[in-house]
Amino acid sequence: MCASLILIPFISVLILNLPIKGMKRLAFGLAALLFLLQMVAVLIPDAAFWKINHSFCAGIFNFELGADILSKVVLFCIGMVSLVTLFSALTFVKDSDEKFNFINILLIAVCGMNAVAMAKDIFSLYVFLEVVAVSSFILIAFNRDMPGLEGAFKYIVLSGVATVLMIAGIALLVLIAGSTNFSLIHYMLIAQNKSLIVSLAIGLFIVALFIKSGLMPFHGWLPDVYTSAPAPASVLLAGIITKVAGVYALIRIVVSMLGFSASIQSILLFVGAVSVILGALAALTQSDFKRMLSYSSISQVGYIILGLGSGSVLGIAGAAFHIFNHASFKSLLFINSAAVESRLGSRDIDKMGGLAKQMPLTSLTSVIGSLSCAGIPPLAGFWSKLMIIIALWLVGFKGYAVIAVLGSILTLAYFLTLQRKVFFGKPSDEFKDIKEAGFSLMFPAIALAVLIVAAGLLAPWLLKGFILGFVPIIGG
Amino acid sequence: MIPNPLLLTIIIPLLSGILIFCVPKKLEGARSGLLVLANLAGLILAIILFKQSFTYTLPGIAPGLELSFRLYQFSAFMLLATSLFGVLIALYSVVFMQGKKLVSQFYAYFLFSIALTNGAFLADNLLVLLFFWEGLLVLLFGMIAIGNKDAFKTATKAFIIVGVTDLCMMLGIALTGHLAGTLVISKISLTLSPLANLAFILLMIGAISKAGAMPFHSWIPDAAIDSPLPFMSLIPAALEKLLGIYFLARISLDLFRLTVNSGLSTLLMIVGGATIILAVMMALIQKDYKRLLSYHAISQAGYMILGIGTAVPIGIIGGLFHMINHALYKSCLFLTSGAVEKQAGTTNLEKLGGLARKMPITFICFVVTACAISGVWPFNGFFSKELVYDGALERGWIFYFVAVAGSFFTAASFLKLGHAAFIGKISSENGKVKEAHISMLIPMIAIALICTFFGVFNQWPLNNLIQPILGAERLEGHNFSGFPTNTMLVIITFVVLILAILNHLYGLKKKGSGLHALDHIRYFPVVSNIYDLAEKGFFDPYNWGLGLVNVISRISFGVDKGINWVYDSLSPKLAYGFSSGIRKLHTGNYSVYLAWAIVGMLVIFGLLLR
Repeated sequence: MCASLILIPFISVLILNLPIKGMKRLAFGLAALLFLLQMVAVLIPDAAFWKINHSFCAGIFNFELGADILSKVVLFCIGMVSLVTLFSALTFVKDSDEKFNFINILLIAVCGMNAVAMAKDIFSLYVFLEVVAVSSFILIAFNRDMPGLEGAFKYIVLSGVATVLMIAGIALLVLIAGSTNFSLIHYMLIAQNKSLIVSLAIGLFIVALFIKSGLMPFHGWLPDVYTSAPAPASVLLAGIITKVAGVYALIRIVVSMLGFSASIQSILLFVGAVSVILGALAALTQSDFKRMLSYSSISQVGYIILGLGSGSVLGIAGAAFHIFNHASFKSLLFINSAAVESRLGSRDIDKMGGLAKQMPLTSLTSVIGSLSCAGIPPLAGFWSKLMIIIALWLVGFKGYAVIAVLGSILTLAYFLTLQRKVFFGKPSDEFKDIKEAGFSLMFPAIALAVLIVAAGLLAPWLLKGFILGFVPIIGG
Repeated sequence: MIPNPLLLTIIIPLLSGILIFCVPKKLEGARSGLLVLANLAGLILAIILFKQSFTYTLPGIAPGLELSFRLYQFSAFMLLATSLFGVLIALYSVVFMQGKKLVSQFYAYFLFSIALTNGAFLADNLLVLLFFWEGLLVLLFGMIAIGNKDAFKTATKAFIIVGVTDLCMMLGIALTGHLAGTLVISKISLTLSPLANLAFILLMIGAISKAGAMPFHSWIPDAAIDSPLPFMSLIPAALEKLLGIYFLARISLDLFRLTVNSGLSTLLMIVGGATIILAVMMALIQKDYKRLLSYHAISQAGYMILGIGTAVPIGIIGGLFHMINHALYKSCLFLTSGAVEKQAGTTNLEKLGGLARKMPITFICFVVTACAISGVWPFNGFFSKELVYDGALERGWIFYFVAVAGSFFTAASFLKLGHAAFIGKISSENGKVKEAHISMLIPMIAIALICTFFGVFNQWPLNNLIQPILGAERLEGHNFSGFPTNTMLVIITFVVLILAILNHLYGLKKKGSGLHALDHIRYFPVVSNIYDLAEKGFFDPYNWGLGLVNVISRISFGVDKGINWVYDSLSPKLAYGFSSGIRKLHTGNYSVYLAWAIVGMLVIFGLLLR
């Protein structure tokens, strides 16, 4: 069943590259359809799709896959952000060959991410993380211009460091446990109870994933990479890749394999809190649109990690919901930045102003995205932040709950600054003749904005079932 | 369905008031007719209700709150007095307000005031009472504010003073309710304890402020100049005195049992005595007809408070009798001032003179009521004052002395007023002045007649209206009607009045004019300095209050600025400072970034191995 989510994109890539005439023109439609189907499949839990028996695959793949509610949230986000990225690529990648290449790499990345989301052993997790990483190197350097190449290089270097740490951690764990399966390792770790090697292995693994998630102080690569990547790539990177490769993997490892202990929780909470506050503070004075969004990403990932650190069902459900929210509002905001960049040719927010008049839809959707990010009710972001804060408070980490609230104020501060500088305030004469961005940027923006509002409004009815869905994961 | 008659006394004026707003401007006759008719209906209703007694509880709106009204001896009497003044002053206003601005507002507020006053008299629940009481505060503001161009400031002053004292009263009501466990007035009877004393004082502040006693008086003289005249005659002279003294009597007779030896009784007498003497001293030096009267309105309230404060039957009867007497002659005096204003165009005493020949009926009414206020036999003021004197003497010679001294100055200032306005040389401007309109004269004549009647036949009001309020038990078998029994006091009173006349003649001889007949007191050493300060508003508690508020607001402003600075300046500066610091750390130097990661990793190892 789950394997089809990996196999289908992979086979699609193969088919698209068959030397048949006209295949290239099919690429966009096929990819869009796949992403859409992925979202729909997740939303229908009883679909026949999930019940297809893949015993035949067992011969091909020698690893286990499984999709619980956490995986499904991520799978949905993968479909959503990839679709958005696909649309934004229409504006930024003009050449048809290039476009075809972009779609191919995107499909491979999706294939990798889907596998990461469903992996049940550390080694396949590692392998598919590398698939994702390699495809993102290419996407960042896609334009083959200086900043893109530099960004890709920076990503390779720190990602490489992370890879080294991770493979070392895996080696140690296999040494101890004799298996790569999450649950087997989990039982072995309980039995071993805090030896030096275990601690070292855990440390290596956690640090590797911190780097991949871009948490402070392991975040050095992130702002540079997000900023220098081409617009569609940064949508994909910020919206989903780092979330899957870093945050989701971290949650999965902690929840399914390491289990919660006082020291792990304190590390998570501390790193999360530092990221929330310093990320938001750093965002406050940025003048580059995308760079501000990058620091905002660090801050928001901090929230997810705070939710994870609470160690409670509510906190982890909040973290998962925040992954979805972050995927929606951050992709939306990157799309907005892309829209502004596509029309103005600049990302310097100090030189903008009054664009709300010329680009009303971009302005409106970015306000929705920003407010959701700042946690303003009734938008979706409010609920996930609320869940995380309540979880922290209930578990007894009241200081961290307060930090989370303060971080929200800072979030509002830098987003208001952004809105004020870009969309409101005095219109500048330089940009008098600017027009609204094209359809390929407006459609995803509007769709995401509608999704954010709808999710926020429906949340009170859906949250209970959503939270209860996490009970078996944490209980196990 | 006909509402309960008690509700009718409130509903009729209320609806008529609303209706007046709906009458088009052109139909002035209809408006005036409505005003007079509504008041007349109220009077008839009050006469029918008089001598009846029953309670009526409105079906509950809020659970636990009894909206109850009670008609009995006292409230029926007050109802009657209110509606009588309503009719007479309405009749007067119809002519007086002709050609003035905002007439329909005035008429409507007039009727609303009658409605709310009736409600306050009938209320048998402190909260219901408070509701009507506070409603009057709003109307007070409205009625002053529609006066001349300075009226708004005066209205604000009145609103603040009365509002603050009403707040005290509100607290007093809460405290009383807490102590008694109920808010139903007829069920409350508290003995004095420290907390009950506090409750009494708070309620007392509300009551004496309504009555216009010192130190809550200072808006009245200003209002006399700025507001429409019928307002002065209706509200501060009549209704508010009735209401304030009514409530004071209720709290000291029913809610709390004021005893002779209590400190509260002494406190009331001190307030009363101070009000008498200080206000009358201010009245002496006024050069405006209305302003002079308004100071007397304050001073006379002192007699009532003194009388009730004595806590002996004779004093209380005197105080209550004085309340109705004062309401009569003071509203009539204000009406004469209005007649003069309407006919001569001014109330400035320096420009008036010799009006007696031109306006003989007004003059006669003035003389009757001036004698009444000065306590000249056989007018009503004489009898009530004698009772108050007797009560005061029973409690201490000093209170008696103050009361008698007040009488001396009252007589002196009315000699001056009458002389300056009605006798003496007629000024050239007033050559063509005529007697006032008949509809303005009728109320004056009526009231003057009642004053005389209440004096000559004082047995009737005392036996039928005043003494039943206290009841046979508390009167201890006394009957205070008829000529005063204490001959000594009567002789002293006559001596004092003769002294006042001699004083006037002395001043007249010295200065040669009625207006300046009291200048020898005005410019007496030391006294003159005090007067100078008083005229600058130095002794006005309102000005002290304003000064205090100013200081507090400056301090609050400073605090607020400080808090603002923390929010508007400090926090953003800190945030931006941190922000640019973090920004500077991000140099793009990769080895630095790697170093951070390695340090972080080492810390994490440390934590895990701990």
